[in-house]
Amino acid sequence: MPLSALLLMVTGGIAAIAILLHILGMSRPRIFADDTEIAAVWRNEYPDTNLQSVNLSRNRHFALVQSSAGLGVVWAMGADGAARLLLGAEVSDIPGGLELSLPDYTAPEIRLKLDPDEIDSWRSKMEASL
Amino acid sequence: MTGPHYPDVVQWAVPFFILAILLELGWIVIKRRGGRYETRDALTSLIMGAGNVAVGIALGFVAWWFFMALWRITPLDLGTSWWVVALCFVLDDLRYYWVHRFGHRIRWVWASHVNHHSSQHYNLTTALRQTWTGMFTFMIIVRAPLILLGFHPAMVLFCGGLNLIYQFWIHTEAIGKLPRWFEAIMNTPSHHRVHHGRNPRYLDANYAGVFIIWDKMFGTFVPELPEEKVQYGLVKNLGTFNPIRVAFHEWVGIFRDLLRPGLSLRQRLMYAVAPPGWSHDGSRDTSETIKRKHLEKTPQDRGTPGFDRY
Repeated sequence: MPLSALLLMVTGGIAAIAILLHILGMSRPRIFADDTEIAAVWRNEYPDTNLQSVNLSRNRHFALVQSSAGLGVVWAMGADGAARLLLGAEVSDIPGGLELSLPDYTAPEIRLKLDPDEIDSWRSKMEASL
Repeated sequence: MTGPHYPDVVQWAVPFFILAILLELGWIVIKRRGGRYETRDALTSLIMGAGNVAVGIALGFVAWWFFMALWRITPLDLGTSWWVVALCFVLDDLRYYWVHRFGHRIRWVWASHVNHHSSQHYNLTTALRQTWTGMFTFMIIVRAPLILLGFHPAMVLFCGGLNLIYQFWIHTEAIGKLPRWFEAIMNTPSHHRVHHGRNPRYLDANYAGVFIIWDKMFGTFVPELPEEKVQYGLVKNLGTFNPIRVAFHEWVGIFRDLLRPGLSLRQRLMYAVAPPGWSHDGSRDTSETIKRKHLEKTPQDRGTPGFDRY
C-alpha cells in the first residue's frame, strides 16, 4: 500500500473514531456513585492497605482518602478510576481546583476540579499530611 | 529482493480494522451491551497502533537484515508450497506463544508488552494498543529457528502478520462463547479476555495467539469463569492517557531501578530480567505473590482454575 494512502487512512480513521465517540457522549468522566465505588478503585490499586475515610468531591469525580498507608486520591480516569498515594506530592492551585504533581511517571499530574470551599479544605488536609 | 513476495497484510488490514471498530461501536450503542468505549482510552489505543506501524516501517529493515543474514547461512529451503506456508503459520504461532509468555515473565520484555494491557477497557481498539519498543526486547531472535529450518523470512513475516490480524477480532466483549469445538482449539474472545484480566485468578494465563492448544499443552490455560467477571487493566493502573508515557513507563521504571544506589550487580540484573513485580527487598508483588495473597484471603479458591498450582 502506498505510504501516503496508509497515512491518510490511519489519521482519518483515528480522527473519525475519536469524533464519533465524543459525539456519542463517551468522553464524559466517571461519576462515582458513592464511597463504595471509591473503595473498590482504591482496593484495586492498594489491596494491602485499609481505607479509613473517604471524602468524595461534590462533583463526584474525585475523592480524597485516608488509608493505613497515608493520604491518597481517587479520580475519574475517563470512564474508569485510578488511585495514588500522595507520597512526595506537591500541591498547587489552578483555576477551579488543585493540581497534584507526583513523582510517578505513570501519574505525573492530577488535576482536581473542586468547589471553592473544597479547595481550601482539601489543600489544608494535603499540606498537613505531606 | 530475491525470493518469494508476500503482501504486508497488516497494512492492508487497516481498513478492515476501522470498519470492525465502527461495527462493534454500533453494536454496543444499539444493543447497550457487549463492551464499553471511552474517547481518550480509544484514542490512546489507536495512536499506539499507528505508532507501532510507523516504528515497523522505520525499523523493519533491522529485522529484515537479521533474518536475511540467517537465510544466507542456512542450507535448508522448504520452498513456498501451501503446506509449507501452513506449517510455518502453526510453528510461528508456537513462536508467538513463547515470545508472549516471555513478555509476561521477563520484565525487559514486559516493558515493551505492558502497554497492550494498560487499558481498563476491552474492545477492538485495545487490540491496536501495540508496542513501540518491540525491537529493543531482542525477541526477534526467537524467529531464528524458523528461518534456519528453511522457512523464507518473507513467509515468516507474512505468517506473523496473519497471526496479528487473527488476534484483532478476539479483543471484544461483544462475542460470548463460541462453539465448544472452536473454543477447544482456537484462541477466542473468551480465552483472550482472561489473558487481559487483572484478577489474581487470571494473571499469567492464555498466552496463545491463534491456537489455544499451546496453553493447554504448557499448563497456562485458564477458562473464563461465569462467576468471576474479568477486570481489565494492569495490577497498578496508569493514571495517564499520554501515549509517550504509556509506551515508555515500564522502561523508565526499569532504568530507575537499575540506577538505585546500594544494589549488587545481580540485583540490578534481576530488576531487568526477573518477572514483573520482583524487588530486591520483597516490597513489590509478582503475580505469584498476588495469587498467594488472594488465597490467604479466599482459601476456598485453592485448586480452582488459575490457582491449581498454589
